[in-house]
Amino acid sequence: MIGKVLLAGAIAVPAAATATVAATGVAWIDVQEGGRDGHRIVLPVPLLLAELAASFVSEKDLDLNLGGAAAHLRSAGAVLRALRDAPDGEYVRVEEEDEQVVIEKRLDTLHIEVHGQSEDVKVNLPLAALSEIIGEDGRLSPARAVRLLRHARFSTLVDVRDGDDHVKITVF
Amino acid sequence: MDRRWVVAGALAVGTLGMGATDLRAQGGAGSAWLHVRVEEEGRHPSKVSVNLPMSVVEAALLMAPETVVREGKFQIGRHEGVSVADLRKIWAELKSAGDTELVSVEEKDETVKVARKGDLVQVRVVRTGSEEGVRVDVPVSLVDAALAGEGDTIDVKALVRELQKRRGDVVTVNEKDNKVRIWIDESSSGGGK
Repeated sequence: MIGKVLLAGAIAVPAAATATVAATGVAWIDVQEGGRDGHRIVLPVPLLLAELAASFVSEKDLDLNLGGAAAHLRSAGAVLRALRDAPDGEYVRVEEEDEQVVIEKRLDTLHIEVHGQSEDVKVNLPLAALSEIIGEDGRLSPARAVRLLRHARFSTLVDVRDGDDHVKITVF
Repeated sequence: MDRRWVVAGALAVGTLGMGATDLRAQGGAGSAWLHVRVEEEGRHPSKVSVNLPMSVVEAALLMAPETVVREGKFQIGRHEGVSVADLRKIWAELKSAGDTELVSVEEKDETVKVARKGDLVQVRVVRTGSEEGVRVDVPVSLVDAALAGEGDTIDVKALVRELQKRRGDVVTVNEKDNKVRIWIDESSSGGGK
């Protein structure tokens, strides 16, 4: 009897943890180095864990590290919120001989693409989360932003190819 | 690229954002978009296309250093030997003269002409012995509002109040290898232009 209880507990705990992680999301970080001896690192980070870690970051310490930039945070936050509330459209396009840059807003996400001769960068920024990093009071809140990443599930945040190297961050 | 039109373009872009709040307050004007097109020819050609909702432009202007924009006024001081106060005097004379060429400055390697034609202020810079030059056309009402301030400041808020009424071209620059156009409309793409 006791054995069955222990077995049930041994199964229930990881099952519950898995369910929790599945419900709250996972950031999947995949780094692949090019070349014959290139390494590959795959790191799943439960968003709940990331949020917990971010909540331990002292706002006071953040202010100190930012130095003079902290004075402009309120304005930067206003720009992010304005972007969040702005209509969709292609905001910027730069075309040069060997590089193309496009910044477009589609469905609450800011899509940034850079295509060069040897690099391809795609960044998809969920504006709801980004705009919450900086509060109305101009204070940084990484924990709040991580929490809002849950709304960006099943999307690729970053996809960078530089030569043979590849970095990809996806939220599931 | 000549710095004159860069200053004119930066001035137009910077001041447009200040009016976004007023544009929203008037209802329906929040759909206004600022468009910038820059085309550079030459050895390394490039094209830049910017389409921004006025609300974003306004928010971006808030990030300008306080020394550049203070109490809604750009501090630009003397530029290329002509202060804002001097520009104000020149403008007052230009307005009273109607459609005419008022200013013609001949320097060693270029000629600068400022003239009024209809509702446009035309600035022409022609390089000596060359076909290169700069053409800047700015609406008269915009210049009126910008120079309504005092001293070495451009009254950005007054400029933006005037811009609220405007749709169409704000600044156009045509140089041999560089073309710049800044305009406002209610299309997110600029009408495919």
